[in-house]
Amino acid sequence: MSKPERLHPATIVFNIIKGIRDSIFIIIIAIAGLMDVNIWYAVLGITILILLIVLMSYLSWSRFTYYVEEEELRLEYGIFIRKKRFIAKNRIQSIDLTQNILHRIFKLVKVEIETAGTGADAEASLNAVTLLKGEALRAQLKSQSINKEESVEEETISDPTQTITSKGILIAGATSGSVGVLIAIAAGAISELERFIPEDFFNNAYQWVIGLGLLIIIFMIIGGLILLWLIGIIGTVIRYWNFTITKIGEDIVITRGLLEKKHLTIPLRRIQSIGYVESIIRQPLGYSTVIAEVAGGSNESGEEFSTVIFPIMKTDEVSSFIRKFFPDYQMEEIDYKLPKRALKYYITRMLLPSLIAFIAVIIIVPYFTWIPILLIVLSILLGIMQYRDTGFTLEDSKVTIRYRFLSRVTMVIEHKRIQAFNKKQHFLHRREFLATIKLSIIGKMGLGKHFHIKEMEEKEANKLADWYSYRGED
Amino acid sequence: MRKPPIHLISKDAIKAWQITAILYEAIAWILTVIGFVLHIVIDFPLWIVLIVLGITLISTYITVFLLPKLRWKRWRYEVFEQEIYIQHGILIVNRTLIPMIRVQHVETKQGPILKKFDLATVSISTAATTHEIPALSNEVASDLRDKISALAKVDEDDV
Repeated sequence: MSKPERLHPATIVFNIIKGIRDSIFIIIIAIAGLMDVNIWYAVLGITILILLIVLMSYLSWSRFTYYVEEEELRLEYGIFIRKKRFIAKNRIQSIDLTQNILHRIFKLVKVEIETAGTGADAEASLNAVTLLKGEALRAQLKSQSINKEESVEEETISDPTQTITSKGILIAGATSGSVGVLIAIAAGAISELERFIPEDFFNNAYQWVIGLGLLIIIFMIIGGLILLWLIGIIGTVIRYWNFTITKIGEDIVITRGLLEKKHLTIPLRRIQSIGYVESIIRQPLGYSTVIAEVAGGSNESGEEFSTVIFPIMKTDEVSSFIRKFFPDYQMEEIDYKLPKRALKYYITRMLLPSLIAFIAVIIIVPYFTWIPILLIVLSILLGIMQYRDTGFTLEDSKVTIRYRFLSRVTMVIEHKRIQAFNKKQHFLHRREFLATIKLSIIGKMGLGKHFHIKEMEEKEANKLADWYSYRGED
Repeated sequence: MRKPPIHLISKDAIKAWQITAILYEAIAWILTVIGFVLHIVIDFPLWIVLIVLGITLISTYITVFLLPKLRWKRWRYEVFEQEIYIQHGILIVNRTLIPMIRVQHVETKQGPILKKFDLATVSISTAATTHEIPALSNEVASDLRDKISALAKVDEDDV
């Protein structure tokens, strides 16, 4: 592939669609603004705009070439300003293939190449090449030699792999985050409706009719919530359809998606931390999501900051899953818990915002006082839960920490992945021999990711510091 | 992490911080003066002006006379062969360990006020965090930068 190649011509179509989508706002304003003057001006303007978009799309396609030379991927692009971008093969961190519906119609694929560099976008992105060429390019850019690639092919059978079950994906959808919000809205709406129903509601025939109307409204709200819930399930199904994780050599390969097929490669050495998240809905059901913190790379739009390694799994299976895929990140039981005197800080921290809300509501709309009261109770409960869940376990080369904001998160971090250690004490902490610690690792987009354990015993914080310190105990 | 780091930063830091604080407080004083002028010219309520004056007085005392000294007293650092140890913070005491092998780059910088006192700030970056040791004398800062840079080079770990 040493001679410069263009992307598939379908790129022009993609660019046109994107161009029109981006300028839809201008088009609407033009129509609205020029409608009164003369409709033909609007038509003329939009025609010119679309012609421009088509021309630019064609030019940007025709001016974009890529080729592999001297162990480098080289891109040349730019309509007015010619740009050349050379990416060395051994600097490439990952090559992701994505297919949306349009890609699949034309049997195309989008290739995204990432290096460790900072930035929200992929380093190089080939919007549309044929599937064959995309896979050939990936094979070519992988640092492994060709015969290694073949042996990988054979090994695939014995490589650890796991695919989401259809039951699993339904549970994931049914318990996805949106449900919590929905339940809260539903609870709020129903108790609110009760207040609107007059007391002599059932005695009065006239009000019975209104009541019927109310019932219909209640049914519509419940129906709407169920509909939203179903949409949530469908969204999850589309997103995580056929989610498969495979470990091939030193890479984790994830494929997923129903409409948009994604093929992600995560080199093991880029993984900074592995763990699992138990959301408030999933925890009582015994399910969790396995996640990883991966260094560098871009952040997908709409994706959480952590990379999902497996969308849903029985919590008691997580340990064996991690043993199978990430033997270095063996999970341990949390053995250090916080001292009793830390509890008040956890409750206060959660309570303060709802207390402020409480005071504000009392002054402004005393009628709704019950909402902040409910909030206060919930925040005390949350504070207690956070206090009870926080802890850590220390081992030779890694630390397992657990904390909760809403969801309970348990992460394993290797000693060598921690970039800095910080111990923090304010004057109240000092008096009570408590300390807050912060472990920093590399996160996405060149930002740090920080894990906190708040208000732990100072003695234990010092133990952690000694464990982390490279000059041994002092 | 039981003992604090041993080295203090330059004592001139107090003066540099005081000047910085005075510059910020000047804004508050200008507002106070404007308040008085408004009171005289358009009968702006005096009590508001007095509150502003009170706040300005208190904040001037705290940020110019109290905090710089306390801050200086707390600021400490120590550079070992294997790691850098920093302590700072008045009410909240922060102690940070940065292993040498995690240091990505180290630089010295100097604003106009620091320059006047021949001071410089050393800033140490890892892949995830940035740490600063403020207001060291120029010489110490450059030495420290070179020392850290040399020690950090010993072991290279790829991300």
